[in-house]
Amino acid sequence: MNRFVIADPDKCIGCHTCEVACVVAHAGNNMFVQEESGADFYPRLTVVETDEVTAPVQCRHCEDAPCANVCPNGSITSKDNSIFINQDSCIGCKTCMLVCPYGAITMVPAHKGGQKQLQSGLRSNTSGAWSRKERIVANKCDLCEDSGKGPECVRVCPTNALQFIVPSQIEDSISRKRLASAQSLQQFSGFSRL
Amino acid sequence: MSYKDPIIHIDEQLCTGCRRCAAVCPVDAIIGEPGHPQTIDAHRCVVCGQCVQICTAYAADNESTTASRAVKLQERGQLPNVREPLFAAYSSGDIQKVKAVLADPKRFKVVQCAPAIRVSLAEEFGLPFGTLTPGKMAAALRRLKFDRIYDTNFAADVTIMEEGSELIGRVMSGERLPMFTSCCPAWVKHAETAAPELLEHLSSCKSPMQMGGALFKTYGAELDGIAPSDIFSVAVMPCTCKKFECSREEMSVDGCREVDLVITTRELASLIKDQGIDFIHLPDEPFDSPLGKYSGAGSIFGVTGGVMEAAIRTGYELITHEQIPNLQLDFVRGEEGIRTAEVQIGDLELKVAVVAGLKYVDAVLAKVAEGTCPYHFIEVMACPEGCVSGGGQPKLLLETQRKIAYQARKSAVYRHDSHQKVRKSHENPDIIKLYKDFLGEPLGHTSHHLLHTKFVDRSLKEEMS
Repeated sequence: MNRFVIADPDKCIGCHTCEVACVVAHAGNNMFVQEESGADFYPRLTVVETDEVTAPVQCRHCEDAPCANVCPNGSITSKDNSIFINQDSCIGCKTCMLVCPYGAITMVPAHKGGQKQLQSGLRSNTSGAWSRKERIVANKCDLCEDSGKGPECVRVCPTNALQFIVPSQIEDSISRKRLASAQSLQQFSGFSRL
Repeated sequence: MSYKDPIIHIDEQLCTGCRRCAAVCPVDAIIGEPGHPQTIDAHRCVVCGQCVQICTAYAADNESTTASRAVKLQERGQLPNVREPLFAAYSSGDIQKVKAVLADPKRFKVVQCAPAIRVSLAEEFGLPFGTLTPGKMAAALRRLKFDRIYDTNFAADVTIMEEGSELIGRVMSGERLPMFTSCCPAWVKHAETAAPELLEHLSSCKSPMQMGGALFKTYGAELDGIAPSDIFSVAVMPCTCKKFECSREEMSVDGCREVDLVITTRELASLIKDQGIDFIHLPDEPFDSPLGKYSGAGSIFGVTGGVMEAAIRTGYELITHEQIPNLQLDFVRGEEGIRTAEVQIGDLELKVAVVAGLKYVDAVLAKVAEGTCPYHFIEVMACPEGCVSGGGQPKLLLETQRKIAYQARKSAVYRHDSHQKVRKSHENPDIIKLYKDFLGEPLGHTSHHLLHTKFVDRSLKEEMS
């Protein structure tokens, strides 16, 4: 079973610390020093705020991941109990974004070594000059797999609104519920057959 | 001229009402319901900018409800090249004005940098926390077309001469004790607002920044043969409240503003990037003499306990006429909270306290009001670990980074001090020359005219009447 992060909307105060932490975890501290214009600030989870609910939303790492099933070139795979997007082979077709029932996938400019990646052939005409178009790729929660320390958003949330759910936790929880259920049957023991 | 802009703002379009800013505000100036945009009570606000540091609610580029990024940057007084997301809590910028003046060849442009800038500026260019770059900083300012690269550290040495002499006088006569430091403008504003009846306990010294400003337009103007009115004086500060301080009405000398504009560390970094200066590869260059030469004592003003340590290094020798046995005074160094110590200076047992974080000062003020405060000298810094943790410093996005960054910046300050040839203010040759040629003696007539000030009662009852 896959691991995933999930938020408790009753605890979330909408401070966006998780989003900021997500960006720092993936870009390091140098995110504002690259020499390009515009703010490259692409968190892999999104805090949603309405009058009724406040909570970050992120990839659920579905067992039968719709995004992986529609990817035309196999860029989305199951890896180490998670659903992983290979941005190196992604062609930016956006199909995964359309089918994701959680809205957890966004399209972002691809980066390598702090530089935006440009396409080899595709050009665009902006403000009267032709230039190579940047590569755009699918982006979503990767459980901070590169850090080796688990999801950063969970660690930084000031109200502990985020939980990292791993399969063994679910198993334990279900075992406890079954045990409680079995114990609650005792009060009916010896009832006559209907 | 008085600054009508409250300087610290919360953008109601972006604020999500998480109230983490209210939790760090030392004076409870942030008002609002959870989940709704917060507002700032400008009367209580001390402009320390800690809310600006902690805020993480930002404008996502795809939100159509908010004004465009370019419009907001313009409104905030920032340059269009700023790469950070726009966070809800922010401080008004003055960098556009500075950029305009730098392009004017007719003005004589003088700049000073606070001690805490040289230990944090490099972070904005991707270098590790606590990278020490005084030489690159001076080189960058020269390339930005400042005519004189002077330094607040020099003025900090002057402050020690004045404040140390004042402390000795007050301890000997037993008058108006304890004496509080007055270099932190947020602390001064809080004292004026919350405890105006205790203002006589503040040192009458202006802050190093204002002393520097006053000297640049008098002593400096004489040395350079420039009319004071032609000098445009900029200060780079780790502090948002310095913008408030430089605009205080009384901070003028012979009809000129002492400091014309204050920009923060972050604003300076954005201007360096805007001008295409390759900061990382700049050579180390010196500050300009004589108003840019400083001692180790001047350079430790940037950390909590630094003013105290610098004052003791000089005070000890002024009183005993002997060398201080140990220059590194570990007992005043430390972190957020209150630290106390007793220092034996000849026959005098000097009782000192260091307050780091404005929220801790009210207990001390209560004791002073009761007349039961046992200390002679109390240093107060509004920010948690002194100026290295100021509201205008490079923004730290995560709490986990905060501790590491403060520690690294502090270590860099102490490292800088320990590498200086001269480590006591009264031994700085340019300070000796300044007193010999211009000021005469500490607390003398010229000093009083240029370097000392009075405080204002800002309590509400005063404003009502």
